[in-house]
Amino acid sequence: MLAIEAANVRKVYSGWFGRRGAQTALAGLDIAIPRGTAFGLIGLNGAGKTTFIKIMLGVVRPTDGVVRVLGGNPEDPNVRRRIGYLPERLFLTSAFTPRQFLGSVARMKGLRLTESVLIAQLERVGLGPDTNRRNGGFSKGMRQRLGLAAALLGSPDLLILDEPTDGVDPLGRAEIRKILAEERARGATLFLNSHLLSETERVCDRIGILAAGKLVREGRLLDLCGSETAYRAKFAPGFNAPALHEIGFRNSEIEGEMRIISPTPEALNQALDAARSRGALIIGLARDLRDLEDVLAEALGTQSPQSESSSPPQPLNVHTGETRSTVGQPADSVHNIPSQSVHNESLVNASDLEAAL
Amino acid sequence: MRATFTVASDLLREAASRRWFLALGIGITTVLIVLGFALRLEVVDGALAATRLFGREVRTDIRSVDVALRFVYRAAAYVLFYGGLAFGIVACADFGPSLLAPGRIEHLLSLPVKRYELLLGTFLGVLILSLIGAVYGAGGFTLIFAVKTGHFTLRPVAAAVLAGVTFAGIYGAMLTAAVALRSAALSAAVGVVLFVLGIIAGYRDRLDTFFESGAAREAFRAVTFVLPRVSALADASADIAASAAIRYDVLASQMVGLLVFGFASLALGIHLFEQKDY
Repeated sequence: MLAIEAANVRKVYSGWFGRRGAQTALAGLDIAIPRGTAFGLIGLNGAGKTTFIKIMLGVVRPTDGVVRVLGGNPEDPNVRRRIGYLPERLFLTSAFTPRQFLGSVARMKGLRLTESVLIAQLERVGLGPDTNRRNGGFSKGMRQRLGLAAALLGSPDLLILDEPTDGVDPLGRAEIRKILAEERARGATLFLNSHLLSETERVCDRIGILAAGKLVREGRLLDLCGSETAYRAKFAPGFNAPALHEIGFRNSEIEGEMRIISPTPEALNQALDAARSRGALIIGLARDLRDLEDVLAEALGTQSPQSESSSPPQPLNVHTGETRSTVGQPADSVHNIPSQSVHNESLVNASDLEAAL
Repeated sequence: MRATFTVASDLLREAASRRWFLALGIGITTVLIVLGFALRLEVVDGALAATRLFGREVRTDIRSVDVALRFVYRAAAYVLFYGGLAFGIVACADFGPSLLAPGRIEHLLSLPVKRYELLLGTFLGVLILSLIGAVYGAGGFTLIFAVKTGHFTLRPVAAAVLAGVTFAGIYGAMLTAAVALRSAALSAAVGVVLFVLGIIAGYRDRLDTFFESGAAREAFRAVTFVLPRVSALADASADIAASAAIRYDVLASQMVGLLVFGFASLALGIHLFEQKDY
């Protein structure tokens, strides 16, 4: 069952004089998001993210293509009844208190909620002490919290959140992540649009990268950010790095840490045993995942500022699609692939790369 | 219709928090209180014998109370009609653009409501607001004079309702302008232009002689034909308040014209609203 499906969606905003000044926001977007997923849409400014969100809500009509949300047309109020939406910049008039605002939204949604339910909802998002305070003086973070409370009214099947943690303090972010996790556990589908990639990483399990109105990458977070065969090992000071290089460990940008790719747990343990036999003391081991910023930069054919300052690009392994070497493999099986050649591919695929080579 | 009433009630709440309307409410209340305490009317055998304002005698002829009050109610009706319209145009111009503000309209449209319900709710809210203002002012005024003279009539209130309805007709066009360009200034400008042209349209039969007969006169008559007859409705409102003779057939045709104009403007606004992306 799909929560959101879009086929060849195009949106062209026409200018004042017909085609002159027309802007293409979406240029043939295809996407299918299963129900129960936490999906994060990322991309640069002007990539078309907000336009797609508005199309999903029936606020903007596509020029071409089909969008179905929760199995129906988003322009149908009965479909929108099952959607909770938090806009990026929620406009609040100073005439309302949070309780009154929620009451108004509840009435529009056709919900008959008691005062205690509204207050409980406000307490859930951390606005309990501000229940009867006028919205006018609210900070950006407080507005986002109130918008989230409104989006959660009626336990919607789909939550579409545009920058939900923007302007929210660090503890508040953690609270919002907890709420989103609870909603997800309830069975709701999350659709998140955020420039805070670390937040997206923490909340979402599927990621889509939008560039120039098209989805250039989409997949599971684990698949995009790394594989289940890449690890980072942390060693106690004094280890012999050249000796570890011989085993297959590679330098990482963090001092005392080294990277290794092991196709099986057995290979990993062999490598660790070999490292210990060379006098290295292991004090930590974790999966090696690239961060989303690198994935985004790679997908867009640019380099993230972080990776610019770190080590030069790692060689890419043709068998795993990883930009790392593999334990025990000869050097001639590792090839450098210019980033442009994988640009716009949905996912790096070993057979595609071999064909390209 | 649930959404329509919610939008209308939200608009009333919003109006209550705005300085313009707060000032209007305080202003009307102050005038009524001052009138209530400072005005002394002495009625003897149904005739107004003496009038004192702030303790000073206002020289008037001894006349029957209902005749004496006709002048007062007529003047009050004109003040309320033109003053109310001018105030409404300025004070209500922002409601449409506020509804359509970025961050608010997307949120409203994401809720399970139909688009037309939002505009209809805004229009209804402004209509109720103008009627509340008009009835409060005229009702209070009438009540004070009724208590002081023993002569009670609801005619000034009916005149005020006519003023409120006239404003709603103009507001339909203001709302449409707001939908087209999301600008409070433009919305107010449309209101002011309609207000002025509506005054001219009310006297079109007298003013068309200023134009050469032929194309110019026909053009003037064609343009003023579609506009609400603001001045004619103001005169009718004053006549109602002053218990003067009214040609109900003329008033009915002017009211129909006003309603057609208001609803046609609103229909155009809804059509534009349905087509727009936000």
